[in-house]
Amino acid sequence: MSGNLLILFLVFFPFAAGLVNYILGRHSKAGRDRVAVLITAIELAAAIVLVAMSFETPTDLYWEGFAGFGLHFRADGFRLVMIMIAGIAWFFTTVQSIEYFNRLSSRNRNRYYMFMLWTLGATMGIFLSADLYTTFIFFEVMTFTSYVLVIHGESEKAIDASKSYLGFGVFGGLVTLMGLFMLKANIGTLEMDQILDAIKMSGANYGIILASGLLILVGFGVKAGMYPLHTWLPKAYVAAPEPATALLSAVLSKAGIFGIFVVTGQVLLHDYTWGLVILIAGTLTMLTGAMLAVFSVNFKRTIACSSMSQIGFILVGTGMQAILGEHNAIAVQGSVLHLVNHSFIKLALFMVAGVIFMNLKDFDLNKIRGWGRNKWLIKLVSGSAILGVAGVPFFNGYISKTLIHESLVEYIAMFPETTGMAVIFKIIEALFIFTGGLTFCYMLKIFTAVFIEKNNDPELQAEYDGKSKYTSVPVKILLVILGVLFPVIGILPHFTQDVIGEMSQHFLNGHGLEKEVAYFSWTNISGALASLAIGALFYFLIVRPCLMKKNADGKKEYIDAWNYGLDMEKYFYRPALLTVLPFIGAFAARLVFIVGDGIAWLYKSLFFINRPERFNPKEEDEFALYEKPQKAEKVPRGISYSLLLFVIGMVAVLYFIILVAFN
Amino acid sequence: MAGVTLLIPILLPVIAGLFVFPMKDAKARKILISVILVLNAAIVCGMAFTDGLRLNLWTIADNMVVGFQLDSVSKFFACIMAIIWMLVAFFAYEYIQHEGDESRFLGFYTMTGGILVGLCYSGNLITLYMFFEIMSIMTVPLVIHSRTKEAIAAGMKYLGYSIFGAGFGLFGLFFINRFAGGNLIFRPGGVLDPSLVEGHETLVLVVTLIMVIGFGAKAGMIPLQAWLPTAHPVAPAPASAVLSGIITKAGVLAIIRVLFYQVGPEMLRGTWVQYMLIILALTTVFVGSMLAFKEKLLKKRLAYSSVSQVSYVLFGLFLLTPASVEGALLQVVFHAIAKNILFLCAGAIIYKTHKTYVYELRGIGKQMPIVMWCFTIASLSLVGIPPFAGFFSKWYLATASLAPEFGALGIVGAAVLLLSALLTAGYLFPIVQTAFFPGKDYNYEGLVKTEPNAYMTVPLIILSVLALGLGVMPVGLTDAISGIISVILPV
Repeated sequence: MSGNLLILFLVFFPFAAGLVNYILGRHSKAGRDRVAVLITAIELAAAIVLVAMSFETPTDLYWEGFAGFGLHFRADGFRLVMIMIAGIAWFFTTVQSIEYFNRLSSRNRNRYYMFMLWTLGATMGIFLSADLYTTFIFFEVMTFTSYVLVIHGESEKAIDASKSYLGFGVFGGLVTLMGLFMLKANIGTLEMDQILDAIKMSGANYGIILASGLLILVGFGVKAGMYPLHTWLPKAYVAAPEPATALLSAVLSKAGIFGIFVVTGQVLLHDYTWGLVILIAGTLTMLTGAMLAVFSVNFKRTIACSSMSQIGFILVGTGMQAILGEHNAIAVQGSVLHLVNHSFIKLALFMVAGVIFMNLKDFDLNKIRGWGRNKWLIKLVSGSAILGVAGVPFFNGYISKTLIHESLVEYIAMFPETTGMAVIFKIIEALFIFTGGLTFCYMLKIFTAVFIEKNNDPELQAEYDGKSKYTSVPVKILLVILGVLFPVIGILPHFTQDVIGEMSQHFLNGHGLEKEVAYFSWTNISGALASLAIGALFYFLIVRPCLMKKNADGKKEYIDAWNYGLDMEKYFYRPALLTVLPFIGAFAARLVFIVGDGIAWLYKSLFFINRPERFNPKEEDEFALYEKPQKAEKVPRGISYSLLLFVIGMVAVLYFIILVAFN
Repeated sequence: MAGVTLLIPILLPVIAGLFVFPMKDAKARKILISVILVLNAAIVCGMAFTDGLRLNLWTIADNMVVGFQLDSVSKFFACIMAIIWMLVAFFAYEYIQHEGDESRFLGFYTMTGGILVGLCYSGNLITLYMFFEIMSIMTVPLVIHSRTKEAIAAGMKYLGYSIFGAGFGLFGLFFINRFAGGNLIFRPGGVLDPSLVEGHETLVLVVTLIMVIGFGAKAGMIPLQAWLPTAHPVAPAPASAVLSGIITKAGVLAIIRVLFYQVGPEMLRGTWVQYMLIILALTTVFVGSMLAFKEKLLKKRLAYSSVSQVSYVLFGLFLLTPASVEGALLQVVFHAIAKNILFLCAGAIIYKTHKTYVYELRGIGKQMPIVMWCFTIASLSLVGIPPFAGFFSKWYLATASLAPEFGALGIVGAAVLLLSALLTAGYLFPIVQTAFFPGKDYNYEGLVKTEPNAYMTVPLIILSVLALGLGVMPVGLTDAISGIISVILPV
């Protein structure tokens, strides 16, 4: 083991501490809660120290022999950004989860905290990993530890969702593993820095490398919620307790993006086909997520689907990185920044969701409608987050979306005339703008419902208005921090976002921006405004007239107009993977399996005479009087002793055979 | 005559086992067996540090010798078998109480422990064959212990398949004897005399195929695999555990001896027989997993799983490359550990709750957390989730199979391994899920803790620690295996 031991601490401390905390929790619940917060605080502090240490010159950690091939971690640029996100998200959600679980008096909290901390360790392991072997190990650990967080509630829905989560997770992990096998077998290394050189040196077939990349994509794509591997996402996000969902959305989905970034920057650098796959998958992801979110009448589900949609935006940026080739700095910066912005925005929104659920135990828009009308603090924080995610100028999301959009526009401008490809890219650009509008629309929908409108039930509304203490002071402070963050980094992009973008260029093999982007030029602002206008139109022309109906009392309420026949998982994946394919497979397997038994049967029927079973006449006089005494079906004792004798005989016979055979 | 020491770990348990039969006092019996098996494991491990021991015990005829030798492969297998045999014995004391006739079971169990060491230490094919047959017969009483009709039938099926398979081995032995010029000693690289083989290459290949299929019966390779799912569910849990974890490895050992010490890898490399064996192994991997996925009886599910997992080993051996053999030998260790844990857990569940079907296991993790934690660790290892041990062997196997020389077959091989891993996840994780996450409506008030006592949990914990520890830090193990490979597959 050599290198910066702080990295080791950062990765393994949560595992050890989680275990200790579990044991502590069996004796003192309050103590465990406090220690859990302390552990995440220490972890955050360690992350900050590591950032300070490694900001200028990267530091490494090697642990030879771990899991056979050794671990290699590195703390540099983009990785530091990611561990900061993870550290902050864990600290924030742990502070909230104490109050959250206490109010809901949830069962199995001990288990929750242990696996929550283990997930932290695994996530740190992923984000700091410098070779794909290390990444994969911690990625698998994360899948399993986070599974326990998803299933935590153990309601029927949670169990079902966790099955999807684990099913997709294991499937994706194994497909990724296949990709890693192929890469390793063909180029001989999985060290991120050396992959590109190794590909050139080994002269490996391009098709094999592309295939490995695409296989690796599956596992990471599952975690990110990429279309068509997204079907677990809305279910699992909704089923998990909110502090866990915040982590899933803010950090764990980014572990998937991290993996996709590695392939983009280190394996299939500037590869057009790869870029196109990611771009198209990303477009579908952002569109599907946004549509699901618009139709949802459940506060949490809307934010969950929004997560998926925003991941789609990041993927579009990632695809453009590969397509733009050498001049991709703008796409690199855009996708990285959107990743960062989205993490913090979703952290805030899921924390808000946690506060709502803790108070109301419901997310149905019709029920929770009007709850936040007079709760100014949470209203403003939610508003800030929503403006951020919708990409309103002077909020953080605007910066990153503008950059991604800019990368699309830049590429379209490179086409000399209108060719087929140019049209496709123009369509993607239009969809990008449209989805941006939808983002605004669905966020407007939930914001209006919870924080502006009045509930249809006046008594309930009065009750909502009467309650002023809805969460503890520490959570409020954390929410305010997040709420203030979004406009600040939105207004000062050059001091905040550009720094992060610059830090990440190396990881993605970008070359840095050639010139400073004029974020607040009229062209960029007008683009954002167009998108917002589309969203507002959509909201007032479609959502309010069509997705709200008058109920019996003549009051408007939200209706669930989504066609659940579109559930890909329920009607396609599950039947195919759990019924049809296993049936075919098992049928074939049984055919093969009976071959041996068939031989045995032949042998038996040829060489043994089956004596017919003795016929026992029924003893009628005993009938209906009492039950016949049951005889234990046992063969007389001593069969094993006779076998022992058989051994001796066998040896003698063998001796004889050998004697005859060899003389 | 330092070679005589080789007989100690073979004879010690066999003789001690004879004394176990008439013993009535359970406590004295426990002490005797524990002392013998622990001592035996210690001797076997100690012997691993000696070198070049050899013993020709008895010359039957001019070139027919019952002889023993200590080489890297014998040390490797003997250590694994002796250690796990010892651990399972502790579990067996407790478990076998509810089956009755303890002295008979434990007597045969102890004796088989010695026979296995004999099998590992065999110095030539004749000795190996003898011990192979004795082992088959000695383990039948373990299978038919309950003496129900079902058990007897299963035991006979087991015996039939074993003897039939070993008969194939004997058949091949005669041919090998002819082509080797009458010298069946185990020598790395094979003993065949090229001048005698010349012109009979096809015959030698066919004979090899037949021998591997024959010895493959013990390892559960298609087409002689059918005894496993019949014998395991009826046998007492400790017996299923060792049958599946250890006895199947005896088949693997025999195949290693045939491939690398008698015929020689050079003879096989690139021939149709190699490809045919690879295809047989891959078919077995898939078929076993698929049927396990469909099976509802827990122990039978695990038996199918063994069919699949042991063929991972065979697949690695048949590829005949250093990396693949490394993976195969790692898989020997890791599967032995994981499958023993799983069967012992199944046994603990039966012992405490009499539940045998997977759908009955709801909330069992709340009742016996230690047992089910061990089950979970073993499942993770068996599926191949890092950093558990099983991942590491599969990594070797798959990357070896993707080496350019195997082309499309290699890619199919790796894909089958991963498909099987997916199915393995599909038949093990749902058990863990219902065990630990019984659902909101689970009756926590009616929960009765049924954790078994230390005789059962301690072996489980030790094995589970190994399943994780060897995955995290396999350095010593990989060194040992590299030592074997440098001998049998010199570069």
